[in-house]
Amino acid sequence: MKSTFVIYKKELAGFFVSPLFYFIAFLMTTLLSVMFSLSLDKFSYLAANPMMQMGTSTQQQNIHYAVFLPHLSLVNLLLIFLVPAFSMRLLAEEKKMRTFDLLLTCPVRSSDIVLGKFLALLTTLSGLILLALIYPLVTRRIVEFPWAPTLIAAFGIFLVAAVYAAMNLFASSLTDNSLIAFVVSVAFNLAIWFLGALSDSFDGGVSKKIFEHISMNTHLASLIEGTLRTNGMIFFASLIFIFCFLAERVVESARWRD
Amino acid sequence: MIEVHQLCKNYGDRQAIKDLSFKIEKGDVVGFLGPNGAGKSTTMKIITGFMAPSSGEAKVCGFDVFENPLEVKKRIGYLPETPPLYTDMKVIDYLRYVAKLKHVDAKKINSLVERALNKTQLLTVKDRLIQNLSKGFKQRVGIAQALVSDPEVLVLDEPTVGLDPKQVAEIRDLIKELQGEHTIILSTHILPEVQATCNKVIIIHQGKIVAQDKIEHLEKMNQGSLFVHVKTRAARGLKEILQKVDGVVAIEKISDLHFKIQLLEQDELIEKIAGEVIRSGAGLMELVPSRANLEDVFLKLTYGKKT
Repeated sequence: MKSTFVIYKKELAGFFVSPLFYFIAFLMTTLLSVMFSLSLDKFSYLAANPMMQMGTSTQQQNIHYAVFLPHLSLVNLLLIFLVPAFSMRLLAEEKKMRTFDLLLTCPVRSSDIVLGKFLALLTTLSGLILLALIYPLVTRRIVEFPWAPTLIAAFGIFLVAAVYAAMNLFASSLTDNSLIAFVVSVAFNLAIWFLGALSDSFDGGVSKKIFEHISMNTHLASLIEGTLRTNGMIFFASLIFIFCFLAERVVESARWRD
Repeated sequence: MIEVHQLCKNYGDRQAIKDLSFKIEKGDVVGFLGPNGAGKSTTMKIITGFMAPSSGEAKVCGFDVFENPLEVKKRIGYLPETPPLYTDMKVIDYLRYVAKLKHVDAKKINSLVERALNKTQLLTVKDRLIQNLSKGFKQRVGIAQALVSDPEVLVLDEPTVGLDPKQVAEIRDLIKELQGEHTIILSTHILPEVQATCNKVIIIHQGKIVAQDKIEHLEKMNQGSLFVHVKTRAARGLKEILQKVDGVVAIEKISDLHFKIQLLEQDELIEKIAGEVIRSGAGLMELVPSRANLEDVFLKLTYGKKT
């Protein structure tokens, strides 16, 4: 456990000492600022004109659905590409620079290595998500709205980010080339959304149920509506666990593989 | 301290090492000798717990490398062929990080880092980024990294590669200095290095141990062969004259004026040869006696050559 913390601290320092985090945060906030102010503007226009409200759904008249959710789904879209940018180096670079040899000859378990790196990555990503939460926070100065649904939706995005982090750490463990790790990671992050879409190709029955359950969309949707469900939590937790476990196996395999 | 018993490692179909067995006592400095690809690095990787053997066992300080890897790793400092450096860290931060990874007591970290910096003479560059250091300095950071946890066993894989002659001498001095404090295994294919630093040698060839003993014992393997190189100003039928001398085993003509003479192991023969050459009036220019040394033993054992 102590080793986990040592590795966690080192990786975290690595993220925040290098310009990468600040550069990515800059890119993300620029994009978010433009998109957020546009949708907020549109929403306030709609809210001020009763004439415009006719024919629109009640959801469109709710700031949570009309402004914050597009904002958070943009964050999600960005994370598909940003998480790999952070994670690609984590294990691939260690292998390339042969520092992997150091880790494997230190009294450190493979699980310490993976867990330390995963937690550091997750902390960095929470930083990005907190940055994205500044926007609703500032909106609070203009309008009153309940906090809880937005926070739960943000928590949903955090869980999705954690799934990306675990998958991408696994991708990074597979190769010693950061670029390959990046491409594989993006492929993973996109594929997990398409997996759920397969449920449309079944008319019902068990197969449809299965695909609906393994779809990230189903579980994220309930969080976005502001409901925390145990099956969703278990789903996210098991995805994270599976990919961290796989990464740990790959790291461990370096000890016995020919 | 280190016990290796019938160790084997296969990479696919290729057998890197076969049935290696040896024992290293506490305080020994052991040189692993062998041509490239002999299995030196593989053996070291197994001892450090980096890799598992295909069969056989290795024990360090009484702990089995495979059964109890964490205990073994706490007691070993390892310098791989390529020093494992985080190039984006400062030297001192890097050493602190390694010390923490090795479970060094928090109170001792500063003093041990200081000691490692001192021994490897890195104090002047301790605040520089590793990526900006020259190859020699990087190699020394690699050695400092192995030393920093004050391990009982030091495993150094070709520690002097890439260093200039002065640095090589410094590293050798360092290894001599560490003798007694640590048990040291170092691999190399540079023979003078072994002669200068080690008290025991293990020669590996094609994955097998071909010799393991103290250096003095190994050198005696080639006994009965004292060589003298003689260079003269003029030829004057020297070969015939020298052949008549008692104790000369063979004479090899290298050029008209240069002979290599094999003698029986008797020092007074050198004197005799010198006297004969002078008496012949050939004009003695050079007379260099050379005893069979480790190099000859090594070449004989690994390549089957005779000098």
